[in-house]
Amino acid sequence: MPKPGLLSAALLFGVAAIVLVLFPLPASTDSGDGTRGPVALAHSAAEERAAPGVAAEDEEPGGQHQQQHQHGGGYKVVQWEWSYVQTPYIIAIWLLVASVAKILFHFSQRFTTVVPESCMLILLGLVLGGIVLIANKKQLYQLEPALFFLFLLPTIVGDAGYFMPARLFFDNLGAILTYAVVGTLWNSFCTGFSLYAAKVLNVIDEKVQADLMDFLLFGALISAVDPVAVLAVFEEVHVNDTLFIIVFGESLVNDAVTVVLYKVYISFVEVGPKNVQTVDYFKGVASFLIVSIGGTLVGLVFAVILGFITRFTKKVRIIEPLFVFLLVYLAYLTAELFSLSAILSMTFCGIGANKYVEANISQKSRTTVKYTMKTLASIAETIIFIFLGISAVDKSKWAWDTGLVSCTLVFIFIFRAVGVVGQTWVLNRFRLVPLDKIDQVVMSYGGLRGAVAFALVVLLDGEQVKAKDYFVATTIVVVFFTVMFQGLTIKPLVKWLKVPRSTSRKPTINEEIHERAFDHILTAVEDIAGLQGYHHWRDKWEQFDKNYLSKLLLRKSVYRKSELWEAYQKINIRDAISVIDQGGNVLTSARLSLPSMASRASFPEFTNVTNYLRENGSGVCLDLQVIDNVPGAKVEEDTETHHVLAGNLYKPRRRYQSHYSRHFMPLGEKERQDREVFQRNMKYRMESSKSTRHKRHKKERSIKKRHGSDPKEESTEKPRRNVSWHDKEPVLVPVDSEDDKAEHSEKDEDEGITFVARKVETPKPRPKSVPAAVEASSSPLASPLSRPPSVDTPLPWKGGVGSPPPCVSVEATKIIPVDLQQAWNQSISSLESISSPPAPPSADAVHPRISALSRIPGAPRPASYTPSSSSSFFSTSNTQLVQGSFLFPEKIPKEEEEDESSHELQPLMSTLKPPPPATTSAPPPPPPGSAPGQGRRKHPRVFLRSLVSAPPPGNTEPWSRGPTQL
Amino acid sequence: MGNKQTIFTAQQLDAYQVSDHVYSILFYRYRDLAPQLVPLDYTNNPDVKLPYELIGSMPELKDNPFRQRIAEVFSEDGEGNMTLNDFLDMFSVLSEMAPRDLKAYYAFKIYDFNNDDFICKSDLEKTLNKLTRNELTEEEVRMVCEKVLDEADLDNDGRLSLDDFQHMILRAPEFLSTFHIRI
Repeated sequence: MPKPGLLSAALLFGVAAIVLVLFPLPASTDSGDGTRGPVALAHSAAEERAAPGVAAEDEEPGGQHQQQHQHGGGYKVVQWEWSYVQTPYIIAIWLLVASVAKILFHFSQRFTTVVPESCMLILLGLVLGGIVLIANKKQLYQLEPALFFLFLLPTIVGDAGYFMPARLFFDNLGAILTYAVVGTLWNSFCTGFSLYAAKVLNVIDEKVQADLMDFLLFGALISAVDPVAVLAVFEEVHVNDTLFIIVFGESLVNDAVTVVLYKVYISFVEVGPKNVQTVDYFKGVASFLIVSIGGTLVGLVFAVILGFITRFTKKVRIIEPLFVFLLVYLAYLTAELFSLSAILSMTFCGIGANKYVEANISQKSRTTVKYTMKTLASIAETIIFIFLGISAVDKSKWAWDTGLVSCTLVFIFIFRAVGVVGQTWVLNRFRLVPLDKIDQVVMSYGGLRGAVAFALVVLLDGEQVKAKDYFVATTIVVVFFTVMFQGLTIKPLVKWLKVPRSTSRKPTINEEIHERAFDHILTAVEDIAGLQGYHHWRDKWEQFDKNYLSKLLLRKSVYRKSELWEAYQKINIRDAISVIDQGGNVLTSARLSLPSMASRASFPEFTNVTNYLRENGSGVCLDLQVIDNVPGAKVEEDTETHHVLAGNLYKPRRRYQSHYSRHFMPLGEKERQDREVFQRNMKYRMESSKSTRHKRHKKERSIKKRHGSDPKEESTEKPRRNVSWHDKEPVLVPVDSEDDKAEHSEKDEDEGITFVARKVETPKPRPKSVPAAVEASSSPLASPLSRPPSVDTPLPWKGGVGSPPPCVSVEATKIIPVDLQQAWNQSISSLESISSPPAPPSADAVHPRISALSRIPGAPRPASYTPSSSSSFFSTSNTQLVQGSFLFPEKIPKEEEEDESSHELQPLMSTLKPPPPATTSAPPPPPPGSAPGQGRRKHPRVFLRSLVSAPPPGNTEPWSRGPTQL
Repeated sequence: MGNKQTIFTAQQLDAYQVSDHVYSILFYRYRDLAPQLVPLDYTNNPDVKLPYELIGSMPELKDNPFRQRIAEVFSEDGEGNMTLNDFLDMFSVLSEMAPRDLKAYYAFKIYDFNNDDFICKSDLEKTLNKLTRNELTEEEVRMVCEKVLDEADLDNDGRLSLDDFQHMILRAPEFLSTFHIRI
């Protein structure tokens, strides 16, 4: 990879040059300046700087001073106020360097997919550290534990906690707690004792003056999996959610263990091992309970406070995000204040508050919170890794011992693996979804150590822990090894092991509904069985939440609404946005209509934007914020529109500029205008198109509907500021009072235009007029709803007769290149073979295209047409049946296991139902009773009855439904 | 567990892929629900049904919107009166061993309130109203239903067939794998 290497090398030197210029400056004026501000970014090394060096570098600024002084004691036109701005300046420069570095790494796509960002940042840190060291002969900057624990770590943990998928986290809480507590304890003790053993056996050099307590202390700080490193590496690997949450949750929760062990050992080291009494061990255990539970409680208390406060921010939307940051951070600091587990506190504050805060604050605040948190976390992470690199360069801080380093590396790796396997073995007896071997490998390998360990080891007192320098060096090596080597190799490993990846599936309303329904169903079944299992308790919690917590923490207008509705709106907005994002380039096959609130019952021929778009065949940009220059045939129309709009839009709008308020965020003047212009623009175009008849009423409807949707606010009946386009006269809207305005703007913020992706009443094949290229790229191929085409294609046999499969996409986010058509075709044929029962020969005639597709070599259609395929939905794993027919791929391993379990019954079953001849090309339709028989073959004992008896009498078997019934 | 042999024949036990231990738990639970109806001796398949009222009136279930529907779907007579076999079936369907498609099928059945083998709009509306405890307005329910259909209805017939349902639900492989309970 020469090019990215060269590129980044060049860029690195560029950055380095900047830094080189900047670094001496702070250093030079640093000496003699005692005030460093709260953030001790510049390391105290500056104070120890040799005076001559300073003098040499001081010359330039000093010279300026002198000249100015010589000029006369009068007013100085230009003053050099470095000491005044120093601290924030250095911080800002650091942030700048870190951010620029981040940009540079992402110049090369290919490079960043191979090398994790954290590796590059550490390398950059090494380079920067080397440069500073060469320039100053002394390391200026280092990862200060105070800086790290008070500022950098909270931003990352806050982000992680607040956006933690709560459900996933609590679903796996048992596993997370086990790994975090038992696993960390195991790691720490084993590593400590083993190192001590190595020391006794003289594998570790004599110079390392450490006894058992020191090694246990070191084991404690080195054994904890680090949240920052795990996040940085795992975010790029995209393993499946469960795996991620277990590793990441562990790295967060083990903080309590690490903190306690660290403190206990420190105190043991201080008093000396001989003076430790038995009571102290129990104190240690008690301390662990207090630190962890106390931290959690502090977090939850702050979560309640946060939820409660945001309930009342309706009038001051602008400070909503601030509350979120402040209280989450306060949760961290408060826990730190009482020396509880700050990470736990912050995590639980985030998890707990998220639901209520998100419901309470406005959409814009949500976005702000999200972006700010992500920005801060990202930059903090960058700084941490750069500083790790820089710190490593400082040779005065560490001492090397090969024995210690290699022993530590080996031990932490082995004990991590052993611990994971052992705990998983126990856990799998209780888990609903067991963790398989591959998961365990990834979990063992993903045990990354990071900056927390480094900060803790730097915090050690060199007086008491004699071997501190050795420990520092070892920690640095361990951190670098895990972050860089394991971070670099975990991606290929995950690929090689075929670890199930997380699919970037967007949530659908279906899933929301099913998730809730399944919860209820499982709870009901558990209750019927008289079990008090997981679902039972979750249901209890939800009842409690609904009856008490939500009433306390949610504002009334929100509380009334079901979460399902919230989810619906979010998904709706997301769909609309994805449609809009696409709009600029490609036609979408989504069905989109404006606005969602409108009553469709009263306007059955509701305007369908997408129809319009389709028929016009132009790339229309549906952006809410800007008027986009639509290329092509639309330009003329646009200019016309623009002229029309320019005539009656802008002047009256100016009025609003005077209404500046600091206390709420008015819709930006420009933005508001743009949005209006856009709306009018769109409507104008629709007007000009024959396909739309009712848009004239749209605005009124939306207004009406918006009022209707919130009866409480309806009563205010304030004139809208969003003026409909067809009010020909420029309308001056009376703005009554500040309150009214706030209310308006709030509504604007929160509701605005809502899109609803809407189903068309009839299947709508693509118009033939669309150019072939567009058709190929966007029509049936694009239709699978943003899912991989091979898995998820519209079931072809269901399409209208003689037509290609209808467009069924809500959001056509995937455009499939022509060269993927083959794959798509194959997936059609395979899909067809699974669920289509033996199609009558006429079906082939009706679907010429599909029958052609099915002749693709490699998709042995005839075999799939055996009668057995009709039941393959329910009996999948019988190998005799399956050859050539479709199998759900992810099911195979599981099914194999099941096969083993019912192995002894196979012969019996196969005599019961002999496998059909594989060569049948046009088999007869299955006999009515055959399907249950097939089902029986799979799980003969359990499901025999359920399959036979489940469908109510009179209904046909569901799996034997075929095209004839559709 | 010595007495379970006297309750069931070996074939009867074989018919359910639940372990003996689980089986006895379930049986006694079943019997606890109606001690006066259920005999201890099941060797000759007594025709005993647990009336729905007994299940529906359990205090734990009083808030559960799906209690009646579950009983209906899993009972042979479709009215919620459960035989022991129905009772055991319910757990075998929701056991870990049950194949995903079977679970999907029963989930589908639960949604299919009018038993027409399609989840149509009225089914969806019923589901939604149960889930949201009638907190949404009719308008909102209808919009959500449309969205649901929009997402999952691949053949555009305005209702969800079993294929549609499976297709949609299998998109998330972990979805059905969590659809089980442990006894």
